[in-house]
Amino acid sequence: MSAGRSLRVQLLRRLLPPISALLAVGAVIAYYPVIGPARAAYDQALIDIGLALGERIRLENGVYALDLPVAAERVLRTDRHDQIYFRVLAPDGTPVGGDPGLAPPPPKAVPKEGVIAYDDRYADQPVRVVGVLVPCEGKVCTVQVAETTVKRRHLVRDIVLSSLVPTLLIAIATLVIVWFGVKRGLTPLARLSEEIKERSPRDLRPIEVEHAPEEAKPLVGALNDLFGRVAEANNNQQRFLANAAHQLRTPLAGLQAHTELALAQPVPEGCRTELEQVHLATIRTARLANQLLALARAEPGGNPEAGMQTLDIRRIVEGVADEWVHRALARDIDLGFDLGEARARGNEFLLREALANLVHNALEYTPSGGHVTVRTGTRAVEAGPQAILEVEDDGPGIPPEERAHVLQRFYRVPGTLGTGSGLGLAIVGEIAASHGANLEIGEPATTGKGCRVTLIFPVLPA
Amino acid sequence: MRILIVEDDPVLVSGLTRILESEGYAVDAVRSGEQAVLAAKQERFDLVILDVGLPGIDGFEALRRLRAAPHRVPVLLLTARDAIDDRVRGLDIGGDDYVAKPFAMPELAARVRALIRRSQSQAGPKVVHGPLVLDTVARRAYLRGAPLDLAAREWAVLEVLLANVERVVSKESIIQAVASWGEELSPNAIEVYVSRLRAKLEPAGIRVRTVRGFGYMLAEFVEP
Repeated sequence: MSAGRSLRVQLLRRLLPPISALLAVGAVIAYYPVIGPARAAYDQALIDIGLALGERIRLENGVYALDLPVAAERVLRTDRHDQIYFRVLAPDGTPVGGDPGLAPPPPKAVPKEGVIAYDDRYADQPVRVVGVLVPCEGKVCTVQVAETTVKRRHLVRDIVLSSLVPTLLIAIATLVIVWFGVKRGLTPLARLSEEIKERSPRDLRPIEVEHAPEEAKPLVGALNDLFGRVAEANNNQQRFLANAAHQLRTPLAGLQAHTELALAQPVPEGCRTELEQVHLATIRTARLANQLLALARAEPGGNPEAGMQTLDIRRIVEGVADEWVHRALARDIDLGFDLGEARARGNEFLLREALANLVHNALEYTPSGGHVTVRTGTRAVEAGPQAILEVEDDGPGIPPEERAHVLQRFYRVPGTLGTGSGLGLAIVGEIAASHGANLEIGEPATTGKGCRVTLIFPVLPA
Repeated sequence: MRILIVEDDPVLVSGLTRILESEGYAVDAVRSGEQAVLAAKQERFDLVILDVGLPGIDGFEALRRLRAAPHRVPVLLLTARDAIDDRVRGLDIGGDDYVAKPFAMPELAARVRALIRRSQSQAGPKVVHGPLVLDTVARRAYLRGAPLDLAAREWAVLEVLLANVERVVSKESIIQAVASWGEELSPNAIEVYVSRLRAKLEPAGIRVRTVRGFGYMLAEFVEP
């Protein structure tokens, strides 16, 4: 998954700017309602000092003076964090006492309820100043009280921190939740893709929509639609092949009947050879039609489970044994059986077809006097018992370098005699695949000479 | 012996007709299931060869209607379909045997003979196989007209084989047919009975073939 396409990264990228903006706005929104009253409270403390100082202005001999004992002044100036300065002005503006360096209030400032509050600098430090108008002996004196801004800055910092930290935590939590939430939210999708990955290419059944997350349903629907169309196309092709093969059979049966009739009559010798060739060609064509039909049936269809049941392959062999015995007798081949229980999940028609092709090949390529053995049984492996279907002969066998090719359709081992179409083993291969069975081509274990084809079926589910 | 062929392909019909006629049967042919049902009502046939894929009512339906009639005529189904379902279905609704198209004529002829013989042996007490005659009522066997001495077990095995001429019969199914309840009969015992039967029948040209690892087959009797 590339970072650029990762849903998570994309989501985070889109979430980060608005979350940051929200954080900023949140901080501002949290800041203003608190800072105003807090400042007013600090200002009020200064005003109180101013009022207290106003109480101490005396008019003695026409001169205003500040009567402030040293102990009282120390109390007034005492603050844990800040420096406090003050200056008292007589009604005419002459300084009466306090710190002389404090500048007078800006001229434009308008007193509000007898108080002027403003920011200024004193002794190279920012200060907050309140000017309090106090009555003195019938006139109005001004008391300026200033304070450095340490407390106020702390206050701002505290307010900002106290509002930012939780929002920041919320933001981090949001991002974390998104990161893992997306992953978690995507697990059904991951499961879905696992399910699709594990599918056999033969399995074109629709995916169950109920299990898919709501958002993925359109995707699943589209996939199912595609599966459906592919299955339908497969089915159409199979139907066509099956119909074509099927339709060929009746005229072939007629053709075979008449050539056999003709051969049963006295015919001139030259003619007889021709007739025999026609007869052979008919039989071969008929076999080809059968094989095409089998191939159409074995190919992946819409539903690999169609026609599947748990069965004993031994019974299938027993049921069709006499179809081959005559042929074997006619060719003077000893056709024998070695049958044990072989339970597997399978399609009876297809297994008969696989068997027929294997036995046909064995009888075809084994010379007179040879032996062909059909074997069924069960082999124990770790996972459980596996059913085996095996046909071996003592004919020429398949050279090891050809074994990989013989499963290809219409492939014939170079130099082979006989009239095969090259479809037989391809059909067996398809049928093995449709059963999830392994196909092994080798030679008989005992003699090492001839051909042995083994189908090993998967262990039956418990 | 009269045979009714129900098949819509004229080439196949003419081939079948001539082959069966050459085997000595009287043959009638119709081209649809309806005609077949009608013909079977009017005439009595010893065998019906019925194609499954017919125009109009198909072979299965025709078979069902034939089976509704009181007289049970043996029916050999011919089909270009070979799905196992068709075969099972055909035999389920009363078909007696089944041949998939295309087929070799000797095979078809053998099936026809076997079906007719089977229906007659059900009708009559005598089973004939070349020079061998089994009188199932009197339980006596004759070979070339002379009485043949058979032990009870030998008789039972021979009966099974005769009921399945040209078919492979597994030892297991012979044991099932021969052994009485609660009795253990080994495959070796069957081998012994078969070898005794061979000794008695082979001089007359009747051959019991061994199918290695499976069972036996009583071959069609061929005049020497």
